[in-house]
Amino acid sequence: MKGLAPLLKKELKEQFKTYRWLIVGGIFLLFGITTPLMFKYLPEILEFAGEQLTIIEIPPPTAVQSLSEYASTIGQIGILVAVLVAMGSIANELRHGTAIMTMSKPVSRLAFVSAKFIAMSLTFLGSMVLASIFCFAYTVWLIESADIQAFIGLNLLLGLFLVFCLAITLLFSSFFKSSLAAGGLALAVIVAQAGLAVLPRFGDYMPGKLLGWGNNLLTGNGESYWWALAITIGVICFCIYFAQRTLKHKDL
Amino acid sequence: MTSIKIDNLSKHYGKIIALDKLNLEVPDNIVFGFLGPNGAGKTTTVKLLTGFSRPTSGDAWVADEKVGDGNYLLNAKTGLLPDVPAFYNWMTGREFLYFVGELYDIPSGELKSRVGELLEMVELIEAGRRRIGGYSRGMRQRLGIAQALINRPRVLFMDEPTSALDPIGRREVLELILRLRESATIFMSTHILSDVERVCDMVGIINQGKLLTVSSVEALRHKYTHSAFEMEFIEDARPFAESLNQIPWLTEPKIVIEGGTPILRVSAVDIDYARRELPRLISESGLTLTRYELSQPSLEEIFINIMESENNR
Repeated sequence: MKGLAPLLKKELKEQFKTYRWLIVGGIFLLFGITTPLMFKYLPEILEFAGEQLTIIEIPPPTAVQSLSEYASTIGQIGILVAVLVAMGSIANELRHGTAIMTMSKPVSRLAFVSAKFIAMSLTFLGSMVLASIFCFAYTVWLIESADIQAFIGLNLLLGLFLVFCLAITLLFSSFFKSSLAAGGLALAVIVAQAGLAVLPRFGDYMPGKLLGWGNNLLTGNGESYWWALAITIGVICFCIYFAQRTLKHKDL
Repeated sequence: MTSIKIDNLSKHYGKIIALDKLNLEVPDNIVFGFLGPNGAGKTTTVKLLTGFSRPTSGDAWVADEKVGDGNYLLNAKTGLLPDVPAFYNWMTGREFLYFVGELYDIPSGELKSRVGELLEMVELIEAGRRRIGGYSRGMRQRLGIAQALINRPRVLFMDEPTSALDPIGRREVLELILRLRESATIFMSTHILSDVERVCDMVGIINQGKLLTVSSVEALRHKYTHSAFEMEFIEDARPFAESLNQIPWLTEPKIVIEGGTPILRVSAVDIDYARRELPRLISESGLTLTRYELSQPSLEEIFINIMESENNR
């Protein structure tokens, strides 16, 4: 992977200089902090809003509810943020001509794609770590203590799923000079696999099942989906390989 | 020694033939002008030679490296200035050159001095500290040249290097190209004929994907010149013009009136012979010569001539 180190350095710098760290981190942190707050103060919020709670009895919130809601929100919002961040990563460079400037130097296409993938993954995983620390701390502080091991397991699976979304989007970004086309197709594939993930048996092999597995860890349900994990990692590797192959065979 | 060797290189886009069996050899340390109208196949050739496009058939070697997928040695020995150089606008000019230098694995101490040297050469020392996003077109072009030279390339590809520059910017870039000739072979695609006349040692003319001719600028002039001599005399030159009709190495002597002045115009079959012998005939005629000129066609006239004869085929 000739040229990976300087390319990765440049990509990481770009994440900072174009405020992607701040934007992704900010969004994740917002949900990491507000989810436990919402659960804790929902009755008060409703009361302030003038709602009568005499009809509906809201049970006291649990740590599992708070952490599981956080995972669900990050799972949904994270997909959108991943697609938005990754859809232009290669497409924009192809359109603007910076890809030609960079690849006319002695660098491999694999290094070019990998540097982008690693930098974006680090941005997302770093933001997730930050958000999950705040979410866990607030949950324990405001609601009740929780199983930290299960929460770490949940975050690892959630993180892997978001990295899968980044890889899919990156692959489509190498196909087109239009970032919108890349984003649209990536979103369609991610939504399609999520639809397939709810199917019995077949769904157990879908990357989307990782989210369900993460939830199972929290609730103590022992069901795990190792095939989905293996397939997700396989698809990520496939996407990186084909993205660089596409660039190699493409007339730039 | 040959810097670029192209062997039957073709590129088809479906039914469209962008480049048709191009054969070309470019010697070391010259400025080679690749001349042609828009859409002739110039950029396609540059893209094929730099590995950014795959040929339909044929082969090419640049700086002794075969052009093809993933040949890092090729990239290490060449430099490229695309027609519209693009940069990461969030970087400063200096930062971009450091980034490019790191891609070439230039050791940090050497890179620091090289970046300073290049920024000075392209007159961007001060601007190098500013973000590229705020650069003018000329500054971007100069930064593009600097990045293409950072590895001291053996072959430098420049695609339309002056097309978007103002006259001062153009002059600066052309002077830079002339200086670079000492250390590199420059393959410059362009449609600006005056640039070719000014800096190129050799020229290849391409149209509709076909190479029409390859030659030095001088040899082209020689080949396509009409060898027209123009003379003005104090006396009536009609009898002398008639006598020239008998001379086998001269053709079509005639008197034309331009701005009220009669001019004797005659073409030569053998220009070198006519250069030597015509003054003797004038001397023997006893006429008083006030102007004597060998009018050579400009490269523009030659280019149009070649294009027209190609279109008439």
